Amino acid sequence: MKLKQEISSRTKSGWFVISLIASFFLFCSLIRIFPDRKPQPYILKYPSNFGGRFVIPENNPTTKEGVYLGRLLFYEKKLSAGNKISCENCHLQKLAFTDGNALSVGVNNSPTARSSMSLANLLWVRNFFWDGRSPSLETQAVFPLTNQHEMGQTLPETVSKLRKTSLYPPLFKAAFGGDIITEDHVLKALSQFERILISANSKYDKYLAGTYKPTLEEQRGMALFQNSPVPEKNIRGANCEHCHGGPKSFKELFHNNGLDSVAADIGREQFTGQASDKGRFRVPTLRNIMLTAPYMHDGRFSTIEQVLDHYNEHIRQSPTLSSFLIDVSNQKGGKTLLLTTSEKSDINSFLAMLTDSAFITNPEFSNPHLILKSQ
Amino acid sequence: MSQIKFPDFVSRLLAIYFFCISVSVFSQNANTVSVSGEVTTPLNLTVQDLSGFKQISHKVKDRDGKEHEFKGVALIEVFEKAGVTTGSKLRGENLAKYALIKAADGYEVIYSLPEIDPEFTDQVIILATEKDGQPLPNGEGPFRIITPNDKKQARWIREVRSIKIVFAKD
Repeated sequence: MKLKQEISSRTKSGWFVISLIASFFLFCSLIRIFPDRKPQPYILKYPSNFGGRFVIPENNPTTKEGVYLGRLLFYEKKLSAGNKISCENCHLQKLAFTDGNALSVGVNNSPTARSSMSLANLLWVRNFFWDGRSPSLETQAVFPLTNQHEMGQTLPETVSKLRKTSLYPPLFKAAFGGDIITEDHVLKALSQFERILISANSKYDKYLAGTYKPTLEEQRGMALFQNSPVPEKNIRGANCEHCHGGPKSFKELFHNNGLDSVAADIGREQFTGQASDKGRFRVPTLRNIMLTAPYMHDGRFSTIEQVLDHYNEHIRQSPTLSSFLIDVSNQKGGKTLLLTTSEKSDINSFLAMLTDSAFITNPEFSNPHLILKSQ
Repeated sequence: MSQIKFPDFVSRLLAIYFFCISVSVFSQNANTVSVSGEVTTPLNLTVQDLSGFKQISHKVKDRDGKEHEFKGVALIEVFEKAGVTTGSKLRGENLAKYALIKAADGYEVIYSLPEIDPEFTDQVIILATEKDGQPLPNGEGPFRIITPNDKKQARWIREVRSIKIVFAKD
């Protein structure tokens, strides 16, 4: 009897051990599923007239997990020295990701060298910054993160701070795999978020899609914006499209637009070392231009009227002044554009068509930490 | 103030490093046009280099509506020096190659190789260095492409900095 009981208890404990082992393997196979779960592709949506000339690095495909992580990092103050500021400090969504200042102030309370640029349609940009020194978003991100006038913190320090949080390690794992947060992954996630900042829903886009009829002022402004002046044929124009043409309202160009006869900031020359690049700066997008004052690389113009006055009346001569700004006029033999006040006002109306209110209120681009807190 | 002291060999290495950087920056400084990509001999040509090539002139109307005499070298000759697949080699997959020409301001245009090759066309596209007997002015030179048969001058690209021979990848 005793023997039988012993045998039965042994069999029972045997079953127990076997089921324990089985559940261990089952558990192992389950936890293996999670790391193997691949990040889900993020589908970028944009109108076909924007064209497909962009490159997403093969080693950083845009994924839902990566974009979400990038968004959290974009609004994360731990990325700066003393946890003082995030990228948002100089790139506010409501101002089309600019900050409304001529120059921005970073962690060391001193101003940056140049004005904060709008972050819209960066997917199509091939040379980042006012001087075009960065060939990709991934390489670009290092500058504001580490520059002492901006976020002023080394990448190792950033990584070390993020590793200590409970929030970030699983998010990095979900986006990139691997158990440890790396500098490379910080840059990649930020780039993924920046790639989705697409502005393509302004009145101008609706006009191009045939769903909005511009007012008379807007139509006149559009014609002036697009035309190069030909006084002999009575064609009046402001020739803006030469650099800001196309649905994206910028071309991948660098020009000296006659701000100074002697450039205080040599612009692209600093990067290329070529004297002919003196005072040349990136042609920025005019998307949401009414929201991104002050204007120019140093924010010298506080209103769009001042910008139009500059192109109309105050172009300064210099050896590297772009040739299309020399002797272009609406009057035969004229030296300046000679647009009238009402023509400038029409151009203004057209520029207002480039404001994309859906872009500046898109919840997908907003600060996700606020949502996390409220949950 | 604390000062960083490097061991001797480190500071020597640093000196060499910075010397190399300054040389590479300096070499960019000279006004050159580069020919690269699918070539056997990448080139970096100065105006002086081009003066040793056969000079060709075209009297053509520019955007200003006026006739000018542009002088320079045949683009095909530059391509031959660089070892681009021209002439009898311009067949098969090489017909899917194009020249991507970039200007200092970032402006870009392309030509397919047969548009430039004398076995395909009588038009002689030149890489001009002079206009009306003078070196091309700032904002236009030192190098400009002149394509006489293009009615619109949009591909007469000014301030040429680089020519890259590329395979169409699609």
